[in-house]
Amino acid sequence: MGNIKIIDIKRSIFEDNDKDADKLRAELNDKQVFLLNLMSSPGSGKTTTLIKTINSLKEKINIKIMEADIDSDVDAIKIKESTGVDTIQLHTGGMCHLDADMTRQGLRNLDLEKTDLVILENVGNLVCPAEFDTGSHLNCMILSVPEGHDKPLKYPLMFQICDLVLINKIDVMSVFDFDIEKCKEYIYKRNPKATIIPISAKTGEGIDKFAEYLLNKVK
Amino acid sequence: MHELPIIKTVFNMVMEYAEKEHAKRVTTVYLEVGVLRDFIPEYLKKYWEYISTDTIADGSKLLIREIEAKARCGKCNTEYDINMEDLYNNKCPKCGYDKGELIKGRELIIYSIEIEN
Repeated sequence: MGNIKIIDIKRSIFEDNDKDADKLRAELNDKQVFLLNLMSSPGSGKTTTLIKTINSLKEKINIKIMEADIDSDVDAIKIKESTGVDTIQLHTGGMCHLDADMTRQGLRNLDLEKTDLVILENVGNLVCPAEFDTGSHLNCMILSVPEGHDKPLKYPLMFQICDLVLINKIDVMSVFDFDIEKCKEYIYKRNPKATIIPISAKTGEGIDKFAEYLLNKVK
Repeated sequence: MHELPIIKTVFNMVMEYAEKEHAKRVTTVYLEVGVLRDFIPEYLKKYWEYISTDTIADGSKLLIREIEAKARCGKCNTEYDINMEDLYNNKCPKCGYDKGELIKGRELIIYSIEIEN
């Protein structure tokens, strides 16, 4: 048996990624590109929301999309066909989130010249994407009505880190006994600084508010 | 399952230090984990066992110290323990204000490692 030695480390697991994320944000600032990290559960209506929002913004600003999924490229194809904007698909190879380095690698496949806004559609999951800073300027999540108004209680970290929460599918609130005031109260408890915008990607309600919010952030 | 990518990161960091020290074996890893991270210690240990198999850390122990959650009152700056049983109704014990800044409970730190060289 050799010598036993204790090595003091006292280092945060997230430290490397946090530093890398800050670096990526600075690089994007130099290029005057705004990066939005969009997160949600699977089936919350992310892709439909994106298509409507892009179509209402694409004449005013230059938008590019990065789709992250564990596998398949159906969302990327759908967005490209419905909006005409440049879209790339990232495969995370089984990973349930994106970190800053994976985001940087993905961005290399986009031409960022004259690009105002890049939207990263993160892997559909309310746990892991919340733990890793992607280097984005803004964290946004979509909570959809069928998921229930108590989601902010069950996934506290996601709601803590989000600057903007879109409550989607508000056209079916009565079917699901969704209490929007309770939901807002729970979100503000996790994050008093959050902005909340109720939308319906299907009817288009609230999409103009989301688009305006983004426009103000980008300009 | 969100413990797995985290354990991969822990493993890579541990290996980085072990190599620097020319370790022949890693025998123990000490982690500090904030209770608000929602990591289940049993899963962290299970994934650690899985990821360290057939490496110099094979058979090593992962010891976890949980760090309790604390907040600082947004009004009077009093520091207080967060009651995990009633997480969403915590108030400052001194002034009763219900909005506080989280100051402890989200850590995930490799505290130290024990190696043989």
